[in-house]
Amino acid sequence: MAKSSFSKVDEYGFERAADFDYESYEEYMSQYLPILARRARKWARLMGNPNSLKRGPVIKRFMRKGVPAEHRAEVWLWASGATQLQEKMGPNLYRELLEETHDIDVVSTIRTDLPRTFPDNIFFNQGDQSEHRNQLFRVLCAYAHHNERVGYCQGLNYIAGLLLLVTKSEEKSFWLLKVLVEQILPDYYGPTMEGVIVDIDVLGELIRLKAPAIHQQVTALGLPWPVVTTKWFICLFAEVLPVETVLRIWDCLFYEGSKIIFRVCLTLIKSQSSSLLACDDFGSLAAAFKSTTSASSTLNCHQFMKSIFQVPGSLSSSTISTLREKISQDRHNS
Amino acid sequence: MANRGGPAQRPNPQTQGKICQFKLVLLGESAVGKSSLVLRFVKGQFHEYQESTIGAAFLTQTVCLEDTTVKFEIWDTAGQERYHSLAPMYYRGAQAAIIVYDITNMDSFGRAKVWVKELQRQASPNIVIALAGNKADLANSRAVECEEAQTYADENGLLFMETSAKTAKNVNEIFLAIAKKLPKNEQASGAGSTNQGRRLQELDGSPKAAGNCCK
Ligand SMILES: Nc1nc2c(ncn2[C@@H]2O[C@H](COP(=O)(O)OP(=O)(O)OP(=O)(O)O)[C@@H](O)[C@H]2O)c(=O)[nH]1
Ligand SMILES: [Mg+2]
Repeated sequence: MAKSSFSKVDEYGFERAADFDYESYEEYMSQYLPILARRARKWARLMGNPNSLKRGPVIKRFMRKGVPAEHRAEVWLWASGATQLQEKMGPNLYRELLEETHDIDVVSTIRTDLPRTFPDNIFFNQGDQSEHRNQLFRVLCAYAHHNERVGYCQGLNYIAGLLLLVTKSEEKSFWLLKVLVEQILPDYYGPTMEGVIVDIDVLGELIRLKAPAIHQQVTALGLPWPVVTTKWFICLFAEVLPVETVLRIWDCLFYEGSKIIFRVCLTLIKSQSSSLLACDDFGSLAAAFKSTTSASSTLNCHQFMKSIFQVPGSLSSSTISTLREKISQDRHNS
Repeated sequence: MANRGGPAQRPNPQTQGKICQFKLVLLGESAVGKSSLVLRFVKGQFHEYQESTIGAAFLTQTVCLEDTTVKFEIWDTAGQERYHSLAPMYYRGAQAAIIVYDITNMDSFGRAKVWVKELQRQASPNIVIALAGNKADLANSRAVECEEAQTYADENGLLFMETSAKTAKNVNEIFLAIAKKLPKNEQASGAGSTNQGRRLQELDGSPKAAGNCCK
């Protein structure tokens, strides 16, 4: 049997599943590698010029086409505003937070989740020897004490874990986590997770407008939207979609903000509409939703990222903010 | 009669071999082993490092009683306290619940009692509740006495077992005990893909369904 040239562990340290489809992957990589090479050349030229990172249509297109792995940390810090935030708040914040006395309940909650974070990743699954695991502990612990209202919310472990794999720096991961939680996303991780609950309803409303048949089907079979989508929002697709696809989504998330999440959700749902509409009971519908994220179309990240700007149609920031406002008002009035 | 030889392809609810479908929800503090119990029951597996559940997971499994096949729709929920606001959606309309605590952790037993109260107040009045004292294989570090939990379960009319997802002790048994205790007659249930009874129930309990009609 021909052996695949791809190893059992991907470039981020995730062990590939036993049923991983090497053949399709190889085919897709043969198309994607030249694209990566071209993007790398363009980015190298861009990053070579001082002060060339300026918000505008050119960079926006660059972000949508993907940031090369070697520039991700720097570009994310810039695009998200984390760099400025760090300058404003002082360079020592992270170290100071680590030196504080830490609340034992918070510490033990985080510790419980450490071995449960990416147990299939070689950087995290080497027991207490895993340097990444210790770094993850420190980032989560520092953040929980920095933002006591949020503290530690399950799900942040996956986000911080992936940030560590990309940036290879706890301090950078800390700042990116901070901008995500406090600036890019509405109140997702607070004590009642109000922001997630509202955004799930916003998505429901968008589906009603943009994919009415699916909305009707889901309502008729009685599947509440949160059942399907809570994890999508909380983990920002980490542990939901293939890792390279997640990172490409985050390239846009850091630059364009949280509306990207809705684009991804709508694309996942709309592109599987025929299989969703074919379901005639609750159980098969729940299963069909689960397979939307493992569809082969999600592995081809380049094509997938193109589709999120086409499949859902127009989606303005003001539509989203109006819906968010209306839904949170309705929640408070009821 | 049609149900003479072999398993009936399309069981008639009036005859033997009927299929009943029930919604079952797992509740309890984070890391007590809810997902592990489900994984053991549904797939016969155990993972030393089970990932924490975000939101909820949905699985199905079937158990056979003498004259009935019981199909469980299992909702495995997230245990962290702040996910609590999402929980009612999962236990709404559930006919059965397993409330899990970890026998090595007294706090988790306290949390289990709070869940029992909440279900007694808010869930369907006839819900069958089972209490599972999980991680029974770690009896060396036991913090919750079996008798204490048994007494509490008896006082509150709960099924009770100490379980271990790791060794499989009492895992099938607790689901089986629930299946036996569930009422099979008034539960309207068809075979295969037509679950008229449950479907109506879901709609009744869903405020969103009502909301959309008014739009
Ligand atoms: N020794 C032992 N360990 C167990 C048992 N059941 C679960 N565990 C371990 O306890 C940890 C938590 O188990 P989970 O099944 O993820 O717990 P959970 O209740 O689903 O947790 P959340 O999803 O966070 O709410 C995992 O590392 C399991 O391997 C058991 O019966 N015995
Ligand atoms: Mg779980």
